[in-house]
Amino acid sequence: MNKIDIACIIDDNPIFIFGAKRMMELSNFCNSFMVFKNGQEAINNLKVLMSSGESIPEIILLDINMPIMDGWQFLDEFTTIESHKLITIYIVSSSIDPVDMNRAKHYENVSNYIIKPISLETLNTLLKEVTQE
Amino acid sequence: MYFKLCLRKLKIIFAKQNSTIIYNILNNSEVKTLKNKKVSLFDFIQKQAAIGTWEYDIKLKTVQWSSQTKLIHEVPLDYEPTVELGLSFYRKGDSLNTISEAFTNCIEKHTDYDVEIQIITATGKYKWVRAIGTAIIENNECVKVQGLFQDIDEKTKNSKALAFKERQLSRTFETALVGMAIIDLKGNWIDVNKSFCNTFGYTKAEIQSLTFMDVTHPDDLEQDYKAMKAMLNGKVDHFEVEKRYLNKKRETIWTQLFVSIVRNSSGEARHFVAQINDLTEIKKSNHKVSQLLATTENQNKRLLNFAHIVSHNLRSHYGNLDMLLDIVKMDLPETTENEIFPLVEQAVSHLGETVANLNEVAAINIQKDLKTEPINLLKHFNTAFSSISALILESKTEITVDIDPKIVVKGVPAYLDSILLNFLTNAIKYKKPNEPAKIDINTNRDKEFVVLEIKDYGQGIDLKKYGDKLFGMYKTFHKHEDSRGIGLFITKNQVEAIGGKIEVESKVNEGTTFYIHLKTYE
Repeated sequence: MNKIDIACIIDDNPIFIFGAKRMMELSNFCNSFMVFKNGQEAINNLKVLMSSGESIPEIILLDINMPIMDGWQFLDEFTTIESHKLITIYIVSSSIDPVDMNRAKHYENVSNYIIKPISLETLNTLLKEVTQE
Repeated sequence: MYFKLCLRKLKIIFAKQNSTIIYNILNNSEVKTLKNKKVSLFDFIQKQAAIGTWEYDIKLKTVQWSSQTKLIHEVPLDYEPTVELGLSFYRKGDSLNTISEAFTNCIEKHTDYDVEIQIITATGKYKWVRAIGTAIIENNECVKVQGLFQDIDEKTKNSKALAFKERQLSRTFETALVGMAIIDLKGNWIDVNKSFCNTFGYTKAEIQSLTFMDVTHPDDLEQDYKAMKAMLNGKVDHFEVEKRYLNKKRETIWTQLFVSIVRNSSGEARHFVAQINDLTEIKKSNHKVSQLLATTENQNKRLLNFAHIVSHNLRSHYGNLDMLLDIVKMDLPETTENEIFPLVEQAVSHLGETVANLNEVAAINIQKDLKTEPINLLKHFNTAFSSISALILESKTEITVDIDPKIVVKGVPAYLDSILLNFLTNAIKYKKPNEPAKIDINTNRDKEFVVLEIKDYGQGIDLKKYGDKLFGMYKTFHKHEDSRGIGLFITKNQVEAIGGKIEVESKVNEGTTFYIHLKTYE
């Protein structure tokens, strides 16, 4: 099975980051991680990386509720950055509010909406989707 | 006045028998007519003034009535009166007593009389008359009584009616629940009623020394001046406004004021009439209501916020716990092989369920502008029915359905699905242990609602014990493996969200009937 090179997690919750990383390791999901604690931090760093064309993540797991810059604001900013590489974005949130789910559908570059908690099966499904594309 | 003058002069006529004085009180044309027609002046006056004369000769015991007197009594002209007959016309009671006394006094004490009393005429009519009597004295002895008889019925009735109307009006003014006042053109309070005094705290005497300007809230004076001017100029004849006054304690009072201007017959402004309705209490309670509303809105917001916290924060903690347990299972499988780990797992899973349920309920309650649509009840029921057909077959449940295919209700399809399924599965779940479930479904209609009746013949619920808890969250009443105690709670919320309500009847070991009121679609 193919493996993702770099996976990016944007989430303010350290427990989720710990768990997600461990799950990814266990499921042999990716070679390396990139972790940002909020949207602003992610934008700042990704902008630099994308302009240099180096170490760009293939997949982003994006939380919605974060301090400083939340997931929606991140998406609005992110779509303005030019990229030569396809980056698949998944929203991973504990919100089961239909309003949030519908809002996610309005972003073209968002592939799916995943409700926390994530499990090994979730990661396997994602891996299949991303590597097949 | 004219009558009085006439009568006084007439008295003189009797005494002097001199008709020239009478000429003086009639104008020339009348006199000419009289002369031309040679009508007896005396008769003329009697007729015109509706005045008759009479005379009682004490020595001869004879009574004479003039023809006008007979007319007033409505007796024929050849009628021959006596004292007894004369008295018999007076209305018993005050009238008869008054005349008897006056007549007796006239003869015995030689006092004249002039009274207004009532007679009953020969044809049975009640009539007000003015009776005047005067004693003719010879040698210090009364020899005759002469007098006048005047029909004052119409005049008396009119003035009595007027007096009645005035009494009524002044009573209305005095006892009206609304404050009423008469104000002169300079703004002085001329007269006020009780209600006005209650509103303002001033006595009538106190307010009469003040003007409306003295008790008007300074900020509302300008509009009053303008309105007054417009009324005085004849641009408008009344004006209505919500305004503030100051009561005796100089506290602000809110009122509804209605003022109109009163003009005399030649159009001159005379005074203003004001009606002042005290709105202070209404304003106060309005304020209370709006405060309550604000509190409620605030609480609703907090509730929404609470729902949000449940939805996001609580869920995220649960998600983390669940994820960590998964990792522990994979990373440290040896730590899971004990009695405790499965219990922790179970606790976390229950936490997740609780959060999910809370979320569902919160979602129903906070959803504004719920999109309801017309739903054919029978069609919808059949769909729900087919989705649990396996369960029905397996449990050998016997269902009779009698739903009018024309019934269309107002609702949210997803809610109605959930409602129907919940009641059906409950009825099957809580059947009597040793026999298959039996369910009867009927509909009734009243004006606003369609009542869906779901009757089972199952275990029933002791409503005395559990009635108030039946639709509560996490309440179970049966020892059933699937009892979660959330179904009825959510169902009730859903029914209420689409404008309906649920009623229940139940007897232990006989069964339960739920009456689900759903809004008729119009």
